[in-house]
Amino acid sequence: MLGRLSLLIHIAARHLLMRRRQTLVATSGVAVGVGFFLAVSALMVGSQNDFVRQLIDVAPHIIVSDELRSPPPQPGVRAYPGGAVQIHGYKQRNEVRGIKDWQRLMARTGAIEGAIASPSLSGAVTLRMGGRDEPLAVVGVEPGIEAKVSNIADKMRAGQLIDLERVQGGVILGEELARRLGLNMGDIVSATSAAGVTRSLRVVGLVKKGNSMLGGSTGYMLLREAQSLLGRPFIINRIGIKLTDAYAAQTIAAQLEAQSGYKAESWQERSSDFLSLLLTRNIVMYSVVSAILLVASFGIYTAVSTSVADKRKDIAILRSMGFSQGDLQLVFVLEGLALAVVGVLLGWALGTGLMGVLGSLDLSVGGEIQHIPLDKSPRQYAIAAGASLAAGVVAAWLPARKAASVDPVDILRGAL
Amino acid sequence: MSAPEPVLPEPVRPEPVLIARHLTRSLPGDPPATLVADADLAILPGRFTAIVGPSGCGKSSLLYLLGLIDRPTSGQLLLDGRDLAQMSGDDRARIRLEHFGFVFQFHFLLPEFTALENVMLPLRRLGRLSQAQARERAMQMLADVGLGDKWMKPPDRLSGGERQRVAIARALANNPRLVLGDEPTGNLDSVNSARVVDLFRDLAHKQGRAVVCVTHDMGIADLADIRVTMLDGRVVEVREQHPAPSAGTQ
Repeated sequence: MLGRLSLLIHIAARHLLMRRRQTLVATSGVAVGVGFFLAVSALMVGSQNDFVRQLIDVAPHIIVSDELRSPPPQPGVRAYPGGAVQIHGYKQRNEVRGIKDWQRLMARTGAIEGAIASPSLSGAVTLRMGGRDEPLAVVGVEPGIEAKVSNIADKMRAGQLIDLERVQGGVILGEELARRLGLNMGDIVSATSAAGVTRSLRVVGLVKKGNSMLGGSTGYMLLREAQSLLGRPFIINRIGIKLTDAYAAQTIAAQLEAQSGYKAESWQERSSDFLSLLLTRNIVMYSVVSAILLVASFGIYTAVSTSVADKRKDIAILRSMGFSQGDLQLVFVLEGLALAVVGVLLGWALGTGLMGVLGSLDLSVGGEIQHIPLDKSPRQYAIAAGASLAAGVVAAWLPARKAASVDPVDILRGAL
Repeated sequence: MSAPEPVLPEPVRPEPVLIARHLTRSLPGDPPATLVADADLAILPGRFTAIVGPSGCGKSSLLYLLGLIDRPTSGQLLLDGRDLAQMSGDDRARIRLEHFGFVFQFHFLLPEFTALENVMLPLRRLGRLSQAQARERAMQMLADVGLGDKWMKPPDRLSGGERQRVAIARALANNPRLVLGDEPTGNLDSVNSARVVDLFRDLAHKQGRAVVCVTHDMGIADLADIRVTMLDGRVVEVREQHPAPSAGTQ
């Protein structure tokens, strides 16, 4: 059996070596297909990973807010759960906004492995500067914890998050808002909340522009001071949670929501529109790439079918010698497979080279030098190889069937 | 009381290697064209059989039927009591490999392989010998046809006669019981032609193989032990031209 296979491989190899030009064309077709597949998919997957990472890191992985997904059950319904009670026209109980019993929720979150939770209070204030009013969504945080949960610290143009603790009434603003109000580091601005409290705030940090999630009109303050400014002492309305494994966010969010009743939003839920966009992008990429590989397999088809046509005499004599139809079919399938294997190896080299070139390009984005994010995982190499080999075998198998069906009588007696 | 029967020497009548019964091959069409009609033939070991007849009489078609290259439309072809006509393609290929050796008018050597590698092909396909043994046997086969020193040459560097002798060595590689030739001397000059015919007769007479040759060369036909004459697809005459050698002289 092994001897038979090695003999058939020997015959296939001789055919290919004798037909160098055909062999070269077919293998380079596969190589180009595989090479560009690798380069394109490295680009696409790399940029996708980069994009998803930004989606994940732009805000905490899970945000528990004081919102409820459904209206809170009223006392009548609570008293008769599942009863056929329909209550009309009662006065809704007015709940105090904010996450109740948040210390317990924090403790429970802290117990989840790899999770860090940061409490915050957000609310609206109006900044007033020289007769100009600007709305500001102020977020009160504990700088020490918040720095671990969000990547705000990386986005700072000037100052540091921890400066909030050092300066009385410190605030961190988006640089664009600051520019509109004519504020610089260390300047003082007055802020008024809906609760009627007015405070003077000192700018201790500026956040870079171009961060959509942080927004142009968001400011950071110390939690304590925000609570006082917004007139809601001891209250928080948001818990940001960061996880070691970002992809566990969805499950953990569901758990927290079930336990606490508050809306816990994972990053996947938050960016589901982007994620579905990525799916479409992947479908487009893989269709284009399969087309490239398909075209490459046409090269193999041509090479093998001309080989079959050229070798009709050899096929006839091998059959008369006692080679079976299956033997001859296998010879030509092996030829296709060999072309695909060599093509894949060359394609891997080409793809690696192309990735090297792409990776060495310096791109200037927003005044900063960046490298194209590339995904060089073995998975892409395996996909390219698998697809090419399968396409190669199929492309060879079609003409190989013809080789098996050659009628030796016609050729042996008709001769030459 | 009867006297013991005298023991008489019986004429040597060996068991046929291959028996054709009512072998018929026709091509589909309207009306169907008949290549070989109702051929009955026994192929004997140790005998050189020539099939002769005018062009298009079906002698090559008969040879291809006997050699399992073509399949009869009806009739039987018996080897060791088994009907080869009904066997699967793979089984027929296996029998060709083990028992049959072909030589054609054209050498049909694989151009990508050396003379030695061409002879090794059937040996390697059969797979009974190791690579080294197969190589040794193929070298011996080439030496037997007088080409021991040209084993490394590709077919296009050999002369016509040499190529045909390589093809014969290849046909004999698996030690076949039956050697079939389709105009094996058709492309050779008279010197080479005579050499090939001598070789074929030796295969029959010295090695005891059944040799069947299609030829239109009457000189060769005259040398054959048995002459089978065909006309319009029918076997019209089977004539034993040279008596079988008796047991003692073989």
